[in-house]
Amino acid sequence: MTNVSISLQTTLAAGEPAAAAPAKMVAKNLNFYYGDFRALIDINLTVPEHRVTALIGPSGCGKSTLLRIFNKIYAVYPNQRAEGEIILDGANLLDPKYPLNRLRSKVGMVFQKPVPFPMSIYDNVAYGISHYEKLGRADMEVRVEQALRQGALWDEVKDKLKQSALGLSGGQQQRLCIARAVALKPEVILFDEPTSALDPIATGKIEQLIAELKQEFTILIVTHNMQQAARCSDFTAFMYLGELVEHGVTQQIFTKPSKQQTEDYITGRFG
Amino acid sequence: MDHAVSERLFLRRRITNWLALVLSGGAAIIGLFFLSWILFTTLSKGIDGLSLAMFTEMTPPPGAPIGEGGLLNAIFGSIVMCTLAVMMAAPVGIAAGTFLAEYANFRKIGSVIRFVNDILLSAPSIVLGLFVYMVLIGAPRQVATVIQNSDAGQNNWLAGLANWLIDISGFSGFAGAVALGFIVLPVVVRTTDEMLRLVPTQMREAALSLGIPQWKVTTQVLYRAAMSGILTGVMLGLARISGETAPLLFTAFNNSFWNADLGEPMANLPVTVYQFAMSPFENWQLLAWAGAFLITCFVLLVSVLARSLLLRKKMSHD
Repeated sequence: MTNVSISLQTTLAAGEPAAAAPAKMVAKNLNFYYGDFRALIDINLTVPEHRVTALIGPSGCGKSTLLRIFNKIYAVYPNQRAEGEIILDGANLLDPKYPLNRLRSKVGMVFQKPVPFPMSIYDNVAYGISHYEKLGRADMEVRVEQALRQGALWDEVKDKLKQSALGLSGGQQQRLCIARAVALKPEVILFDEPTSALDPIATGKIEQLIAELKQEFTILIVTHNMQQAARCSDFTAFMYLGELVEHGVTQQIFTKPSKQQTEDYITGRFG
Repeated sequence: MDHAVSERLFLRRRITNWLALVLSGGAAIIGLFFLSWILFTTLSKGIDGLSLAMFTEMTPPPGAPIGEGGLLNAIFGSIVMCTLAVMMAAPVGIAAGTFLAEYANFRKIGSVIRFVNDILLSAPSIVLGLFVYMVLIGAPRQVATVIQNSDAGQNNWLAGLANWLIDISGFSGFAGAVALGFIVLPVVVRTTDEMLRLVPTQMREAALSLGIPQWKVTTQVLYRAAMSGILTGVMLGLARISGETAPLLFTAFNNSFWNADLGEPMANLPVTVYQFAMSPFENWQLLAWAGAFLITCFVLLVSVLARSLLLRKKMSHD
């Protein structure tokens, strides 16, 4: 864990004062239950616009659980429920009246394992778009190209758009999943350990991509890898046993955390 | 540890290992021996009966000269009933399997339905045949008899109903197809359920997180991912019914003549084989072998196709 401080320099090099950003999403008094088990305890978290916020913590601390509330994907399963508020653009998205369709078009998600749909590369991207917009063929082609460029995949796949997406490498598949999420022009993108199934080179590409994507989107990322959080996030939230222990500017969390638990975790004393 | 003790322990383990190997190997050899014997007998005796006439002529009368007559009506009947059975059972089975995997997976009702389906899967086929006989043939006739024997039989409308019931109830190709359908159904339910549950949860979540409603996710994404597995289930169901005799005995019955009417008794290969093989006539016995050979070849072909479908799916996932 000694190289944490070294990798921090990339974040610092990004320059601009990370703190000066308006809030995009605010979680207020958030509690989450798996049946009777309370997995999240009174979480309050502000996610700043056009910044990368990383959620770190040991396994089972609830960071993925928290991430999955922001687009209500947990609602697929019975016995899982969230209490509290998440304010996105002034509206509480946990309100049952908040339309799921609108939420999912505003908040995209990329998962741990790359899961391209069993269709062509082109259709993987076009599929989501066609659910929201009726585009002509030419317009759709423009949108798909745009999304694949944003996913930093265009140059590698432009000659085989009609081929099955299952033939791509793991790293390419994950970038395709990012392009698929970006294609809907969301405002927020959630990343759930997006590189844990990838090799270091593919991981590097994804991290670089995340840094580019924050110009346009607000990003919330769950990661097991502390160096990754240090490398590519502006803000870091440390979670432990369902509670948000500390939240602040990444540089500060990794150099002089205010809580003992945080320090123990980032220095590798547990977790 | 005492050296002598560990040596003895090691010897005992080696003997146990050797014994288990010999027993399981012997069991496999016994199984394979009889399987290849059956295949060899069917092949050698069946090939003698094979001729072009088998596919062009109707079943011959008993004692006709060898080489005269074929199995055309039986082949045709089997194809019609098997196709109809699969056409009826596959959509229902796929729908039920989808319900189990996608909507009832976490609920108690799901495990109850799975359990009941497993019972249906292992139900003796003759029981299914009896059930279809009772529902489609026995019961309507009984109702008709009751009407005719009572005073109500004087009523024009009721008398008409009784006649209609007698008319529709009777051995028929349709009843045979229904009985076969009940055998295909649980196979398709089971494979659809299992194949859909093999699709990674994250693919569901990824599609749902794009804001696509669940029914679209199921039909447009998950079915594609599970397609070859589901098709395999349907084909295995087809392979299973193509040799079924018991459920046809008292539903489709049999027919010595050409019949394309689903409301009438229909010839079919398994019952024809059964009847011809039991007969004392040499020409019939020969055709029975040929029919058995034909069924075996068909089952083999369908099974190989189903296997290769699954294999292709596996390779594309690697």
